[in-house]
Amino acid sequence: MSGGLLEVEALSVAYQRGPGPAVEALRGVSLSAQTGEVVGIVGESGSGKSTLAAALIGLMAPAAQVTGGSIRLRGMDLADLSADQMRALRGREIAMVFQDPMTSFNPVIPLGQQLVDYQHNLQGPSRAQKRQRAVAMLARVGISDAVACMGRFPHELSGGMRQRAAVAAALLMTPSVLVADEPTTALDVTMEAQVLHLLRELRRDYHGAIIVVTHHLGVIGELCDRVYVMYAGQVVEQALVDDIYHAPRHPYTAALIACDPGSLARLTPVLPTIPGRPPDLAPPPKGCAFAPRCGLAMDLCRTTPPPRVQVSPTQSALCHRVQG
Amino acid sequence: MSALFALQGVSVDLPLASGLAALLPGGGPRLNLLEDISLEIGSSEIVGLVGESGSGKTTLARAMLGLTPISGGTMQFQGKAVGPRGSFTALRRHAAMAFQDPVASLSPRMRVGALLTEPYAIHAIPKAERRSAADLLAEVGLSAQLASRYPGELSGGQARRVCVARALALQPALMVADEPTAGLDVSVQGEVLNLMTGLRASLGLSLLIISHNLAMLRHVSDRIAILYLGRMVEQGPTAAVFAAPLHPYTRSLIASEPQPDPRRRRADLAIRGEIPSVLQRPKGCVFHTRCPIAADFCATTKPEMRQLAPGRLVRCHLAQLT
Repeated sequence: MSGGLLEVEALSVAYQRGPGPAVEALRGVSLSAQTGEVVGIVGESGSGKSTLAAALIGLMAPAAQVTGGSIRLRGMDLADLSADQMRALRGREIAMVFQDPMTSFNPVIPLGQQLVDYQHNLQGPSRAQKRQRAVAMLARVGISDAVACMGRFPHELSGGMRQRAAVAAALLMTPSVLVADEPTTALDVTMEAQVLHLLRELRRDYHGAIIVVTHHLGVIGELCDRVYVMYAGQVVEQALVDDIYHAPRHPYTAALIACDPGSLARLTPVLPTIPGRPPDLAPPPKGCAFAPRCGLAMDLCRTTPPPRVQVSPTQSALCHRVQG
Repeated sequence: MSALFALQGVSVDLPLASGLAALLPGGGPRLNLLEDISLEIGSSEIVGLVGESGSGKTTLARAMLGLTPISGGTMQFQGKAVGPRGSFTALRRHAAMAFQDPVASLSPRMRVGALLTEPYAIHAIPKAERRSAADLLAEVGLSAQLASRYPGELSGGQARRVCVARALALQPALMVADEPTAGLDVSVQGEVLNLMTGLRASLGLSLLIISHNLAMLRHVSDRIAILYLGRMVEQGPTAAVFAAPLHPYTRSLIASEPQPDPRRRRADLAIRGEIPSVLQRPKGCVFHTRCPIAADFCATTKPEMRQLAPGRLVRCHLAQLT
């Protein structure tokens, strides 16, 4: 598995807050992304998906510490880079779209000026040309009066517009990896559909990898090619999007899909749930983290960490119950 | 069946001007938030209220419970008038609201136990009729130990349940739940909703669930009402509305829901553009600027609510039963 655009190998991240054992937020996470691919990372709160997104762009909380593994971009280990080198990489090679763009734009500077400033590292074009590029990019993401939009402040835009502008800002430097953390969670369903549509359009003429981090299975279904399902800091299953939905092998993936009201074919006045809560990760349980909530769990599951079983070249699951 | 709560032609205006202009005769310019809203909630009925941000869902809920004054129309609760010409006291004793942000609606300086029993003190309920905090917590599936915690120490799902428990303290006939699943994981969403729908079966509770989660309302509500920019555009039995939506807006909303099944990916956009600002409400039909089937007169003539079949109402010039 080398030569990929982005390779995360056995990444472990722990948060040390106060005395007591550290919270092991990521435990041996491996994932890869190729050029032209949309990769989905799905999980519920506390699964570690946001920690993973933050680690990818090198913006982890001060209390977080990488305790093992590596992140490689075109074979280059991000841990070897100095803060300056990482800063040069961010934006140009890896860019991020956050859940609420209101907090990622500066509220007191007009949008246009911020979009020009984002191109600071770009040698060559003059300031006027950079402005032109920003206007063209805003038009590209579907903002109808792009020139007028350049003069507006972030709060003057609607939520949907701001999210489009954030996508435009992230793409200005044509990064090779775009990380979108819950890109549509703050939006209404009609705006959500439009932003999903935009991202789908962009993947056609944008040559890079898009990594979408979300808890919403609808976003995964509409947008992604491959999916990593996270639970309690681990990737419990990875597969092509069609296999995740139609042939999930890990009991957690199956339960998660069954819970989504959008995937219930028949009307059910009593909605399915997953009984219990995710485990405390300080320290994580000895056996399978999902065992206490799993209908298929046996004694072995509670005592021994589950193996990663490769069921097909593209699908694997972290489970004692899965047969290869 | 007589309705538990009935709204007839309710409208809500807010004064737009501040300062001296507000003192002018007539109070200066006013911003119309809701107009001509009629809705009935039967006893033991679950009604879903749907709409995008800015459609007036929360304003309507607040108006129903007297938190925002109405400027027109009438409201009746259990056959008695409430609102400007009636009293809210009876209503507030028998109708409860679970607010959108559960943590923000719980006082941070009070322990859960005190929060749960506060409604008894407010309504001077005799000691014999009061229920203990532990009892209320058990009803929503929480451990009695939570009574000694502060709201900041609860998880999102727990805070949501505490709000439901507090709403239930007075054994209301109606509960209004504003976005009860917002911010919850899918596996927890089901628990909170099952809890509320279970109370209908055990206590005969009526529910008004405000949400933009159509997939969820499809399963739990008996009837749904759809708001767009402060106007009720469609109303009807949930199954019938999903099977054959009458209003083009309802159709677009249903067609915009992201599909978890990759084999059913949406090929094209069902709706373009954004909900206009209430400050620039379109003339004629409020939806005509985004409507795929709008005709010329839609931009000039306001559509009236029409009944196309028993219980199925739509505010559209062009809607017809198929």
